[in-house]
Amino acid sequence: MTRILCVAEKPSIAKAVANHLGGQARAENVRGIQWVKNYRFDFNFQRWGQCSVTFTSVAGHIQTADFPDRYRKWHSCQPAELFEAPIQTKVAEDKKAIATNIEAQARNASVLFIWTDCDREGEHIGTEIRDIALKVNPRMEVCRARFSNIERAHIVRAAANPIPLDDAQANAVAARIELDLRLGAAFTRMQTLALQPMIPQQGEQRKIISYGSCQFPTLGFVVDRYLRVRNFVPEPFWYIKVVHEKDDINVRFSWARGHLFDRMAVTIIFERCLIAKMAKVTKMQKKPTKKWKPLPLTTVELQKMGSRFLRMTSQEVMNVAEGLYTKGWISYPRTETDQFDLGMNLRNLVEKQQQDGRWGDFAQGLMNGGFKQPRSGRNNDKAHPPIHPVNYVASTQLNPNEQKVYEFVVRRFLACCSEDATGEATDVDIEYGGEIFRAHGLTVIARNYLDVYPYDRWESSQNLPLYTVGETFEPKEATMQDGQTAAPGYLTEPELISLMDANGIGTDATMAEHIAKIQEREYVIARLKGAGAAANGGGNGAATRGGRGRGRGRGGRGGRGGAAAQNGGGSTGGVQELIPTTLGIALIEGYDNVGFETSLSKPFLRKEMEAQMKAICEGRSTRHDVVQQNLEQYRAVFNRTAQQINILKAVSAAQEWLLKSR
Amino acid sequence: MAANLLAELTQHLHARHLHPTPAWLQSFASTTRPNTPLPALKQTALFRLLATDITTSLSPPASSLFPADIFNARIQSRHVAGPLVCQVLDISDIGHSNWSQVESIEAHERGETTKGREIVRMVDREDENDHNEAAAVGPVMASKGPFKLLLQDAKGMKVYALDLRGLEGINMGMSMGTKLVVRNVDVRRAVVMLEPGGVQVLGGKMEALDKAWKAGRKERLVRDARGVGEGGGDG
Repeated sequence: MTRILCVAEKPSIAKAVANHLGGQARAENVRGIQWVKNYRFDFNFQRWGQCSVTFTSVAGHIQTADFPDRYRKWHSCQPAELFEAPIQTKVAEDKKAIATNIEAQARNASVLFIWTDCDREGEHIGTEIRDIALKVNPRMEVCRARFSNIERAHIVRAAANPIPLDDAQANAVAARIELDLRLGAAFTRMQTLALQPMIPQQGEQRKIISYGSCQFPTLGFVVDRYLRVRNFVPEPFWYIKVVHEKDDINVRFSWARGHLFDRMAVTIIFERCLIAKMAKVTKMQKKPTKKWKPLPLTTVELQKMGSRFLRMTSQEVMNVAEGLYTKGWISYPRTETDQFDLGMNLRNLVEKQQQDGRWGDFAQGLMNGGFKQPRSGRNNDKAHPPIHPVNYVASTQLNPNEQKVYEFVVRRFLACCSEDATGEATDVDIEYGGEIFRAHGLTVIARNYLDVYPYDRWESSQNLPLYTVGETFEPKEATMQDGQTAAPGYLTEPELISLMDANGIGTDATMAEHIAKIQEREYVIARLKGAGAAANGGGNGAATRGGRGRGRGRGGRGGRGGAAAQNGGGSTGGVQELIPTTLGIALIEGYDNVGFETSLSKPFLRKEMEAQMKAICEGRSTRHDVVQQNLEQYRAVFNRTAQQINILKAVSAAQEWLLKSR
Repeated sequence: MAANLLAELTQHLHARHLHPTPAWLQSFASTTRPNTPLPALKQTALFRLLATDITTSLSPPASSLFPADIFNARIQSRHVAGPLVCQVLDISDIGHSNWSQVESIEAHERGETTKGREIVRMVDREDENDHNEAAAVGPVMASKGPFKLLLQDAKGMKVYALDLRGLEGINMGMSMGTKLVVRNVDVRRAVVMLEPGGVQVLGGKMEALDKAWKAGRKERLVRDARGVGEGGGDG
């Protein structure tokens, strides 16, 4: 009988998949690491026939990349040397037992079947597993499973259709790892050595001022908005309001110009209206209108909606979604795809939701003829479908956060399979004193998807009376009013995610981690929106915390695998707004002062890097070229910063002074 | 320069409602090279005249000036027939707050409007198909106004004007010292209401004024924003 070694990315997936394939698979302990198990069972694979299977797992990346000892001490070399110092890639100290287990299991297996998550990181972890296994057993056949949820039928299908590992994706990750290591270490050391003496310290621990090529642009957005809010100057404006009564309805017309910032101008226009006396209807239009149902759910959208409506941080949402995926309730939550494959049996998924007490009736309605194919967005990562419920689970089996995320995913999915809301819009334009005024009315005719999707609002407005074009009337009231501009709010988490997305910072899967990271680094603090002015100075964030880490900030994905549950994302609550600390502001202003155009606070360099990763995946570029090209660009910034390090220090010193004076 | 040539030039300029002083014509004539073909000469004269300060270079008939009591704000509405030539001394965008204009200028200074270096700073709060009210606090790029201008006629009379209709050639990018021909306009409370058909943009600029105006624009906006804000609220 053929022996097959299957390896998943984390223990929970190994357990779930093993149980789907092998029924009650026998779990064996692995020496030296009690939370990894080897599951043994027999299974009939299409390709290899009846096999004896060992299903085990790793816990995220097995290998780490680091500099040799002589570069690792803070003062052992010039930070600039880290741009070309050799890098050693080896099994991480805490992953040795896992690597040993794979070696042992690979020795007497003839096939290695990899079950890591189907994305770039997963592909790279797959190559790590492959390298370890092939070293002890070079004749092994290697393939991987393609799957996007942990539902039984889907898993069985994946087991029957193995595909090759994609080295291009793995190479993109390798390039990212190398760049994150070199850039993170070089910049972190440079800025820490320069600025550390100015940062207040606690006891013996010195603060490390870490750099990450995603963190800094992310921080840049927070600082930019903060400064906009702080610098904002309110200004008065004036506008004209017209009211007309018809059929016992008070119709409020608003000025097509909105408002103007010149009192004299508005006064003159207003006087012209009063002189004109009569208004004339220039447009009367009733037309059907729609509120489109939402697009299929992507990761970015899930994170945004999660922090807006579910009172969770984006990172919490992702962790919960990950758990729901592992348990087989929802599909893989890291996806850019917002279109469902036409071949997918969506009705089958809707059907499973009929039993629920809250949305079951709606699902039933869809099954009884209400089903419509979801809209298709423009994105398809060709790896995973949009996030959708895979199976029904009663809320009693979930914890409160899981319930919220699951409910959102289900409602979003049902909304996608429903119909747009329809209504009738009425637009009336009048000309009055040479100016245009408008009234807009909406009557909702059929709520459709809105019935199951309370996260969208669309409500009927005041009913408008019937006007005819050419009709003239004297308004009941015409008044000149004033108002004042208001500052924008501090950046909220969903806004930050949108900005990162729009500017190409991080991938959908890593954004939440970068946001958590800049909080953990104490560059930014999060507080509940509208929590008042207590933390308003933003100055209380420079307190020190231990000098942990080895002086490098990683732009990449942090706690993947076993450790994914940790987060620095603050407490659960309403929408959070992000406020930079004194240190955060000093860093961004310092780098901006060194050179606006290519400042590390700007997204361009990282955006280009991100685009080049994609190029590697698509075979348009190579790992070597991308690494060299990026190192060259960042080296230019590094050299300029090193030359002008006094500018960086000056800003920090000034901020320091501000901090004390508060 | 021959007298008939001067006459030709004068006629050419009068056709554009420009009445140069004899002194200006003389000095222009003295700088031209002989044998320059007439069409080129006409072009050059127009170009140079548009680059002057009309308070010294033009001496139009009284009908081509603003009425002497133009800034009597008690007059609700009056008609000025013109045609008269005036120059633009100032323009402001009254459709946007001073501060939002400061923010746009700063974004430009940071290079964020350079191609390939754009940064998205504002994102839509709502889904694609919602036509919701615009949040008016974001930075502005190419503004459609409306605009308030400060005009000056050949006798040095200064008067405010409003462009509410979005006239071509009138925008924040125009040069200070641009010459306009204005005719058949409504003047309300001492403010000239610029309407299509009543305004012809001749072009030109006053180099020094334009330079100083552009250099000082951000500072003026900041000052105006602060000045107004303190009176009106908690600024």
